[in-house]
Amino acid sequence: MATRPREEIFDKVRQALVDALSVEEDEVTEEATLTGDLQAESIDILDIVFRLEKAFNVKISQEELAPRDVLSNPEYLNNRKLNEAGMAALKERVKHADWSRFEQDPDIDKILDVFTVGTIVNFVEDKLASAN
Amino acid sequence: MKFVLIDRITELESGKRVVAQKAVSLAEEYLADHFPKFPVLPGVLIVEAMVQAAAWVVRESLDFGPSLVLLKEARNVTYKSFVAPGQVLTIEATCSALGRQESSFSARGHLAGRDIAKGRLTLRHLTLAETDAGWEPVDQTLRERHRALFRLLWKGCPAGQPAATSEG
Amino acid sequence: MRWIWFDRFEEFVPGERAVSVKNVSLAEDHLHDHFPGFPIQPASLMIEGMAQTAGILVGHARDFTEKVILAKVKRAAFHQIVRPGDQIRFSARVESMSDAAAMTRGEIRCGDELVGEVDLVFSHIDQNVSGLEFPEENFVFTEEFMSLLRTYTQRDTERINL
Repeated sequence: MATRPREEIFDKVRQALVDALSVEEDEVTEEATLTGDLQAESIDILDIVFRLEKAFNVKISQEELAPRDVLSNPEYLNNRKLNEAGMAALKERVKHADWSRFEQDPDIDKILDVFTVGTIVNFVEDKLASAN
Repeated sequence: MKFVLIDRITELESGKRVVAQKAVSLAEEYLADHFPKFPVLPGVLIVEAMVQAAAWVVRESLDFGPSLVLLKEARNVTYKSFVAPGQVLTIEATCSALGRQESSFSARGHLAGRDIAKGRLTLRHLTLAETDAGWEPVDQTLRERHRALFRLLWKGCPAGQPAATSEG
Repeated sequence: MRWIWFDRFEEFVPGERAVSVKNVSLAEDHLHDHFPGFPIQPASLMIEGMAQTAGILVGHARDFTEKVILAKVKRAAFHQIVRPGDQIRFSARVESMSDAAAMTRGEIRCGDELVGEVDLVFSHIDQNVSGLEFPEENFVFTEEFMSLLRTYTQRDTERINL
């Protein structure tokens, strides 16, 4: 079964974001952050995940984007910030995000701020590829 | 209850933008039900406040022509926090399109800068006489009511500051 | 005014769908302001009727252990006006339900006419929201709502012969 071209995935992700956030198409760029540039609230993230599940016929759990077992493991935390071990565990679990900026201030309450449109597209691409 | 969800208009740029306030008071009876022991302004009344604020932009801009300005569609209204009695919610509505029969706004509610809610609204504007000329007296009553209410809510700019509207 | 925006359940399929009705009456105060000489049910209060109907459906699915609140109005569109004497029907169905949120879709009808469509997202009150403290008990699902549900489930005995 042929995998979908990234462009096609990007278009569907863009549509989900436009529908969920009332943003303009041209605001949805690869580098745009969901919670920053596109002003998504945490409830919007849930809405977006649901739309992506429907659009791509996959199951996505929040765990895959923000794994609770890492983020609430006391061994990985120092006052709600991830320590070195925690950061390594996170990177291992969620491979698609660019964690470089988050590493500078690994505040677990700000974890969703890391996700860009590109991250989501990569994530979906991987999911679809592994489903095949 | 008096279904007026805006207590004051503080800024008005004709056809463009309004900043208004809704003060929440324990005297508002529905609070006893929403919720018992945790009174907070219901989310749909925040939508109503946004609609009413935006409607003032429409009415002022169209010289109170349409007798009814109603919500046609609300989209992606998200709630981040609550407004409690004693607090004053600031509503900002910014117009993205304003035609004779329809208008679009993005609206935001905040408490001293802290986000409470935001969303997108499309309003429809109606004049009853356009359906049936017999409604003209009702249109007139509604226009007068809204002009009077507007005068109550919008006192114009504070002295010493530049005018924000096209009206003097 | 009481904050109850529907009058009776007509259908209740746990975890799936609920249908309720609301009578719009000139005895309701708010209609006299909205608007004088031309009373019509405000769209925002119809959104609330749907939110309460759907919210009970969602809450019931969790045995009313969670304080279910409206977190997002995805879309609320209105096509007809509703006037005193009209009876509107809210039909809500669960689209998805997880620990974090529940999504519902619904239609509002007056007779056969489609009055509106309301799609909602529900979540639970977080202890730290806005620094407000709130009581432990589930204040969201008041006795009035529980009574409406009971009246539906016991509908066979509803007609009490005098």
